[in-house]
Amino acid sequence: MKAKVGVYVCECGPNISEKVDIDKILETLPGLEEYREIELVVKRFGLLCSGDGKTFLEDEINNNGLTHLVLGACSPRDHDKTFIGVCKKTSLNPFLYKIINIREHCAWIISDKDKATEKAITYIRAGINRVLFQSALLEKKLDINPDVLIIGGGIAGMEAALSLAARDRTVYLVEKDDHLGGKAVLLGGLLPRQGGGPAKIREKIESVLGNDMIKVYLESELEGVIGFLGNFEVIVGSPGDEEKKDLKVGAIIVATGSGLADPAILEGLDYSKTDEVITSMDAERMFSKEGKISLKSGGDPKSVALIHCVGREEKGYCSRICCNYMIKIAGYLKDQSADMKVTEFHRGLCLPDKADQGFQKEAEGRGVEFKRVRELTITGTNVRYEGMDGKSEGLKFDMVILAPALEPSEGTEGMADLLGVPLSESGYYQEIHQTTNPVATSIEGVFVVGAAHSPKGITDSMLFAQASAGKILSQLIPGGKITPEIKVSEILEAYCTGCGNCLDVCVYGAIYYDEGRGISVVNEAVCRGCGNCFGSCPSGALRTKHFTNTQLYEEMREAIR
Amino acid sequence: MSHSENVLIIGAGLAGMTAGLELAHAGKKVHLVERLPLIGGKVIKDEESFPNLECSTCMVAPVQQDVLQNPNIVTMTYSSVEKIEGEAGAFHVTIKKNARYVSMTDCIGCGMCYEPCPVSQKNEWEENLGDVKAIYVPCAGALPNVPVIDAQICLKLTGKEECSACADSCMFGAIKLDDTDEMVEIDVGAIVIATGAGNYDASKLPQLGYGKLPGVYTPFEFERLFASNGPTLGELTLRDSEKNPEKVVILHCVGREEVGYCSSVCCMYSMKFAHFIKKKLPDAKIFNIYSDVCVVDKNYQKFFKKVEGADTKMLFSPTIDGVKVSGNGSGMKVSYRGGDGADESLDADMVILATAVVPDPEVGTLAEMVGLELDRHGFFAVKDDVAGSVETTREGLFVAGTAEGPKDVQTAVIQAEAVVGRVMSYLGKVTG
Ligand SMILES: Cc1cc2nc3c(=O)[nH]c(=O)nc-3n(C[C@H](O)[C@H](O)[C@H](O)COP(=O)(O)OP(=O)(O)OC[C@H]3O[C@@H](n4cnc5c(N)ncnc54)[C@H](O)[C@@H]3O)c2cc1C
Ligand SMILES: Cc1cc2nc3c(=O)[nH]c(=O)nc-3n(C[C@H](O)[C@H](O)[C@H](O)COP(=O)(O)OP(=O)(O)OC[C@H]3O[C@@H](n4cnc5c(N)ncnc54)[C@H](O)[C@@H]3O)c2cc1C
Ligand code: SF4
Ligand code: SF4
Ligand code: SF4
Ligand code: SF4
Repeated sequence: MKAKVGVYVCECGPNISEKVDIDKILETLPGLEEYREIELVVKRFGLLCSGDGKTFLEDEINNNGLTHLVLGACSPRDHDKTFIGVCKKTSLNPFLYKIINIREHCAWIISDKDKATEKAITYIRAGINRVLFQSALLEKKLDINPDVLIIGGGIAGMEAALSLAARDRTVYLVEKDDHLGGKAVLLGGLLPRQGGGPAKIREKIESVLGNDMIKVYLESELEGVIGFLGNFEVIVGSPGDEEKKDLKVGAIIVATGSGLADPAILEGLDYSKTDEVITSMDAERMFSKEGKISLKSGGDPKSVALIHCVGREEKGYCSRICCNYMIKIAGYLKDQSADMKVTEFHRGLCLPDKADQGFQKEAEGRGVEFKRVRELTITGTNVRYEGMDGKSEGLKFDMVILAPALEPSEGTEGMADLLGVPLSESGYYQEIHQTTNPVATSIEGVFVVGAAHSPKGITDSMLFAQASAGKILSQLIPGGKITPEIKVSEILEAYCTGCGNCLDVCVYGAIYYDEGRGISVVNEAVCRGCGNCFGSCPSGALRTKHFTNTQLYEEMREAIR
Repeated sequence: MSHSENVLIIGAGLAGMTAGLELAHAGKKVHLVERLPLIGGKVIKDEESFPNLECSTCMVAPVQQDVLQNPNIVTMTYSSVEKIEGEAGAFHVTIKKNARYVSMTDCIGCGMCYEPCPVSQKNEWEENLGDVKAIYVPCAGALPNVPVIDAQICLKLTGKEECSACADSCMFGAIKLDDTDEMVEIDVGAIVIATGAGNYDASKLPQLGYGKLPGVYTPFEFERLFASNGPTLGELTLRDSEKNPEKVVILHCVGREEVGYCSSVCCMYSMKFAHFIKKKLPDAKIFNIYSDVCVVDKNYQKFFKKVEGADTKMLFSPTIDGVKVSGNGSGMKVSYRGGDGADESLDADMVILATAVVPDPEVGTLAEMVGLELDRHGFFAVKDDVAGSVETTREGLFVAGTAEGPKDVQTAVIQAEAVVGRVMSYLGKVTG
């Protein structure tokens, strides 16, 4: 059967009609019929995107029995979706249609009408030739599993679990420790704006444990994962324990939190000869257990130095929460004894919440001294520093408390590997888009929240957790289906040598190596059709549907004929 | 009144748009109300966004397009919420759609109507750096790409003169000079406030010369000056001359002491500005005067370090309070206290004030209408930092983005997504 291609040129009011000679286009195109052995229907129309225009197109497709459709109109950014919608109302597969932008590419940028017309004709001819080589592609719908796996039972993991359970989702919460609560439950207190204190964290633990929708696995870890958004299969087990659990979930939330950098990375720090230099976490633990901070040698300290930013330069990022909690710790000390000398050595205060600066002023009011320094060395409990005025000075304290930088938690690399999620330069998980899509990763259906995403406090950790719940609740609707990308890549078995080049370039982890057949295979449910792999294949085995070599070549060939 | 599954979102910045798209994806009907004629919020004023210096339009335009094309989202631009009655789960909302005088369905955005219009005024959206006609779009690339007529200055609409120059030039019959305001009433189960924030009025600090010395700029004035779709098409020329600046001082933390908090984005955008200027004017001398550095994300300090030293010289001052900007011949002099307490000064022909992020000037009216108290700074407050960080004190009302306090786009988006989760659970609870 001869192809019957409908070609419709939009006037776009005066926009195209005044700058391009549409009649000339209509006269010229039929020349293609004989050359290509096709039948053409060529017409002009006032405004194709208007209601009238859409009805007109629909009638034209149906009445003429068109096999392909080409529109000479505006940018696909404006109206591709509009015309795909028109195709979908008819029996014409939308992948057999193409919009050619003769407005922005011709009418609006070329002042010479003849030249604009000539370019428009070339573009349309090329488009007709391309569309002849396009194939009908069909949308697939896949069933989904709405349940969720959460790795890490700190505040972020618990908050995500509660948010999902509130909407009746079954949640599997896997925690490697023997208790829930992560770091937050270890703290001596919270920030004033967080009211309520640690009791609130314990309340959260109780609500998680008492929630029927949340199944908690303590002392367990993720051991295997395969699948994609809506359909993951995971294995959870305890190291050493034979019995494994196979779970099916639709999404995975990583909430593995962070660790604390070893203060030894700070140059100029020598506390080998004293026990009175401790970390902020030690101080929190002490305060939590005993309600006060004491010297290792016994008794209360009379003077304490609080050192901010330990390891910040070395790590290359600010940990966001340390300035805040160091002021909180200064508060513990002042509560303990109002005339204790408390000095905070900082490198510029970073207090990014609207409530924080007031909190800092309050501490200042209670006599906490804030010293901004350029350089600092600590020997025992002696602090030598260079102030912003360039002068050096030394001070001796009874006790020194260090705020080590937060860093990705132990095992992050292994977990990233298991999940296929890339890490950023800082060692934290890399989100898919830092500003506009910060909880999602390049593996669709895998989300990263809390301090595992980047250094952050409890409030932000909870926000990220709630955000991941928001994404999952809106993406995975029980009983709903997902429509994976159709314009995916495929590997032609006959050509693939199994070299594995493509596996390395696919950031979405969509390609796997099939041992049995000795070739690489694209998992179409995971592939996003980005085309990255296409150029990496030395044997021409890779093909991205709707952007095949043949299609592009034929389009070019007609353009330059 | 029966419960509704629909959602009202007030404000179409990135926070409002993100929440809208995700709720729509979940099948909720979303009413998105924006007071300006265009959607996108503050980010579309920026040529590029930190930390990756990504083209903001390229980042936001797909979101804007998705919002406008989503069948579950009813976007009402140039509109305002007038009344909210009822209670959580069953709010009855009245929205006023201001007369636009141009038909959203007939206009194709060709722009033929601007030229013939005989009246013009300063373009407020462009921080008054350029002019627009009475019929205008705020900037090239505005979405929806449909102009609006300012009835305050249009000859015909003010009754000053018979004029129909715009309507005569429109081939699509899209201009409706007899258009009127329209009241729309809707029922929704939940309301999201995503109305963004403003910037501290720099003229409240007379010692910094803003408004008197033409070389002193606010941050958004600078953003628009640098923008390729802005009034100078991205040409960095000084307000009172056609010259490029040679010595630029960027002053951090302007208004921080006065408002009582750190705005968390100024350090980053100040560094972004230094980088922009250096890129366009490699010979310019650039100085950043700062007292603290707050660059919080895992990737922000990296950007800071890249710009520090390479593009700008960082000058520490223990307090920004003592800084003074004064006229000095045709240029300016910036005096400040140095790290050692000594008085220092610099010559400059451009001074950019990194003003604090403050509540939107109209926030009071909105707060009263939605029945919420503002926090002591004038932002919307969340119920409890640790219990639910996007729920307000009134049930069924949620807040996201800079309406809640200063923050970067990432955190605004996170709050919007958190709102989606909360709203979904909440609607499930009230409507069963
Ligand atoms: C000294 C100190 C004081 C602080 N004070 C405050 C404060 O006052 N206010 C505030 O807001 N923030 C404070 N913070 C920050 C706060 O601790 C974090 O924001 C918060 O703990 C982050 O929560 P999270 O759930 O993301 O991570 P975490 O609390 O680190 O929890 C992560 C959980 O995941 C588990 N896990 C890790 N890897 C795996 C794995 N592979 N498999 C299974 N489970 C795993 C861990 O065992 C842990 O239970 C402080 C931090 C420190 C260091
Ligand atoms: C100079 C400057 C530069 C910045 N640069 C960056 C950057 O490079 N990268 C980055 O991550 N962040 C940057 N930020 C921060 C960023 O602008 C904000 O995080 C972001 O705009 C917040 O988005 P939003 O949706 O909350 O608010 P907005 O973007 O302010 O949007 C709010 C919307 O609500 C509308 N609105 C307000 N009141 C009403 C009402 N009553 N009824 C209806 N509609 C209403 C407004 O018109 C607006 O469209 C910068 C900030 C400043 C000040
Ligand atoms: S097209 Fe992109 S997503 Fe698909 S397999 Fe190739 S590289 Fe991966
Ligand atoms: S790059 Fe080509 S040949 Fe090599 S494994 Fe991938 S598809 Fe096969
Ligand atoms: S109103 Fe008419 S002339 Fe003006 S932009 Fe819209 S279509 Fe063009
Ligand atoms: S009627 Fe006249 S003054 Fe009013 S917008 Fe149109 S052209 Fe301008």
